[in-house]
Amino acid sequence: MKTPLFSEHNKLGARIVDFHGWEMPIWYSGIKSEHMATRQHCGIFDVSHMGEIYVRGTNSAALLNHVLTINVSPMQRGRVRYTFLLNENGGIIDDLTVYCIKPEEEYLLCVNASNAETDFAWIDSHNQIKADIENASDNVALLALQGPDSARILMQCLDFELDQIKYFNFRLVSSQAFGELLISKTGYTGAGGVEIFLDQRFANLVWQKFIAADATPCGLGARDTLRLEMGYPLHGNDINESTTPLEANLSFAVDLKKEAFIGKKSLEKQRQDGIARQLTGLVLLDKGVPRQGCSCLKNDQDVGYITSGSISPVLGKGIALCYLDRSIAENDKIAIKVRDKHLMAQVTRPPFVKGNVKK
Amino acid sequence: MNIPDDLKYTKDHEWARNEGNRVRVGITDYAQNELGDIVFVEFVEKGTMVAKGDSVGTVESVKAVSDIYAPLSGTIAEINDALEDSPELVNQDPYGKAWMVTIEVEDQSELDALMDAQTYDDYVAQEAK
Repeated sequence: MKTPLFSEHNKLGARIVDFHGWEMPIWYSGIKSEHMATRQHCGIFDVSHMGEIYVRGTNSAALLNHVLTINVSPMQRGRVRYTFLLNENGGIIDDLTVYCIKPEEEYLLCVNASNAETDFAWIDSHNQIKADIENASDNVALLALQGPDSARILMQCLDFELDQIKYFNFRLVSSQAFGELLISKTGYTGAGGVEIFLDQRFANLVWQKFIAADATPCGLGARDTLRLEMGYPLHGNDINESTTPLEANLSFAVDLKKEAFIGKKSLEKQRQDGIARQLTGLVLLDKGVPRQGCSCLKNDQDVGYITSGSISPVLGKGIALCYLDRSIAENDKIAIKVRDKHLMAQVTRPPFVKGNVKK
Repeated sequence: MNIPDDLKYTKDHEWARNEGNRVRVGITDYAQNELGDIVFVEFVEKGTMVAKGDSVGTVESVKAVSDIYAPLSGTIAEINDALEDSPELVNQDPYGKAWMVTIEVEDQSELDALMDAQTYDDYVAQEAK
């Protein structure tokens, strides 16, 4: 599959890789330079492969309250929240953002590309109350404009004042030139900026305008190192159907006070019983690159494993997300096994670098 | 893509330069471009005896780890320590500052078995298909 911007990526000389069936740019000039451009100036990412699911109708909120871990009822128009779809065991089917377009009437879910069909089928199978659900992934493009210069570029290109909205809020903007835009002050980089949902027919135009205004085209490689520096989990790596939000240290996106939702009973039981391992971070003290699957050792005993790792372009050190036994405390020094070597690392709760988002 | 005429090449996308009784080794422009941003480089110890095809180190990009193989047998005479602090040199200057090791060779004829620039150019064209 290709996004509407595929030919733009080729024109820019992008290295294209297969990402869960999508032909996506992994980098244009290089991961490090794109990473730093986003932290210091502004990066533009084509993330149109992400899935968009609309839930509409009088039962929309009731359906979402049944399948999501947060309570959507108090959400006001223009509010975004991070949440999960869980299975009965409390395992994470997907992590997603929910957009309240009209309370009790219309919501948009932005889900991971690789999970869009699974998510849709899951929600559909629990839709006994017959809310109207639509998988709009094929028609909607998504651009992430990220970094401290985003405000200037948004003003210049779309005449949109970024300061008028707060973090995790959005506005719908309608324009002759670009159609309907949903501009959301969210992102997966910690660099500040917006994500813009738009009709795919206008994707090329907006993309070109941002680049002409000096946004640096960035691929999925930089997106991954940027999110890792912030400690944002990646579904499929750090969280999956066999890990729960409690284990992943993401209980902020779970409302256990909500009457009922799929997976709630399992989470309550897990909270009572306690969890064995929890997701946290590592900063390497030795030189080297931590990788997914590396085991973590303390006094030669296995104490966990790495789920994502790379060199932080900002710190110039290896960083990783990992599940560690609860007996391991912050700042503890542990060893990680990288191929045949043991490298020393310090347990560090992410974010690993200071973000640029005002909450 | 840059493929200097005066070097020999391996199927693993390494180059070898004859310097008398030593051979200088690095990875090619094609290899660095395929790997993307190099973030880490490490080598075996100086003095290690290696047979042709043995690993003499690793280069890591954000996404992948690759072994560097000895293009011929001998003893590791020098390693390029500078790359451990500045791995990005591999992307910037693969045939120059980013040489990786020199090998004191026993049998110069092993060098003749490697590809010349034209053959390597054809090989890369084939790989890229």
